[in-house]
Amino acid sequence: MADAPSHPQRPLPRRGIERLDLMLLCAEALDLNGGEAMVWLSEEMGFTDLLPNRVELWKRRCSNPLRRTTRRDLPTPAESDALIRICNALADRLYPMLRSLLSTAEPPQLSAQRWQLFEGRLAELLRERFNLRRGGVQRLLDPEQGPSLSRELIQALAFSAGPGGFERLKASLMDPVV
Amino acid sequence: MKLTNRYEQTSCRLQVEGLPDLSAGQGDQTIGILTGFSLDLAGHTELAGQREHLQAMVAAVLPYARQLLSGVPRCCGADSDPVAIRPHAGRHQLELRSSQPDTPPLALQLDDAELADLVRCLDQLRLDPRLALPFEQPPLQPLRRRELRHRQPLAQRIAAPLVGVGVLLLSAVVSALLPLQRPAPAPAANPAAVSSPQRGG
Repeated sequence: MADAPSHPQRPLPRRGIERLDLMLLCAEALDLNGGEAMVWLSEEMGFTDLLPNRVELWKRRCSNPLRRTTRRDLPTPAESDALIRICNALADRLYPMLRSLLSTAEPPQLSAQRWQLFEGRLAELLRERFNLRRGGVQRLLDPEQGPSLSRELIQALAFSAGPGGFERLKASLMDPVV
Repeated sequence: MKLTNRYEQTSCRLQVEGLPDLSAGQGDQTIGILTGFSLDLAGHTELAGQREHLQAMVAAVLPYARQLLSGVPRCCGADSDPVAIRPHAGRHQLELRSSQPDTPPLALQLDDAELADLVRCLDQLRLDPRLALPFEQPPLQPLRRRELRHRQPLAQRIAAPLVGVGVLLLSAVVSALLPLQRPAPAPAANPAAVSSPQRGG
């Protein structure tokens, strides 16, 4: 597991939480047992003090302003680090699937089917859990803009996997809002 | 005794060879002196080089992956460096310049999956405890606001300030056109009221 970065501990900005939660949602769309896997990984990685059960895990993710039920408080740096580590471990677990989605060497028809399946599941999860009046959600569900945004999320998951993925993902989630 | 470490992903195989630097007190299973490396990028080419080439690759590819994660990939590595990488037509162009004269530079077009494989191999190499070599790379920090600015199209970026200025101008024009309410004429002075105060008895 990668060491924590040396920069001081700051809470993740709201936009970073939004992106992290969407990446976790993509992991759930790729793996039907993704929700269970998150809880299991949290226990496996020793985060039971920070995220003792699925309700606490869900509450931290609800700091995403795009959610149907949102929470105003932001996760503490330790809690957001735990969520990033879970995302990193999920991305590692799903890496072959992420790779096959991103590869241009795959047969185009098969690749299109995989993307269609993933985008369909992601849309279902978005409709179920997210506030459909928010512009960010509407863009993800938009037939024109949605596919490129979904691809960006899959690309981000692929580059967040592996031993250096935690530090890379954390640094990118701390980016300022433009 | 020569040591060999291998790092493998689907489309990428990196192999480093070296010796332990016993004079620096390193263990006999730690590579402290890198004698060479080979990198097999499936479907592209097989490369071989020295320590400085591998360090240049780490220094160019990992910061590029960091920028890619923020959605703003830019060229990493100068023209004089042995390795540079830049976005090119939806792919990633890895440019390799040989230190041998009369050898033209090599440009490889990697897709996202191939680049992700290379990044994972380089991460494994950089964090391998069996390797005692410095791999310089800039600290992983949030990007600056100006580095992220071109993530949004210019029209979207200036739309909000333009609308603000427009609304301000419009409200200034509208308020200038509104007729001003003239002040009511002052009531005529009533000399009787002033000159003959009544005194109560």
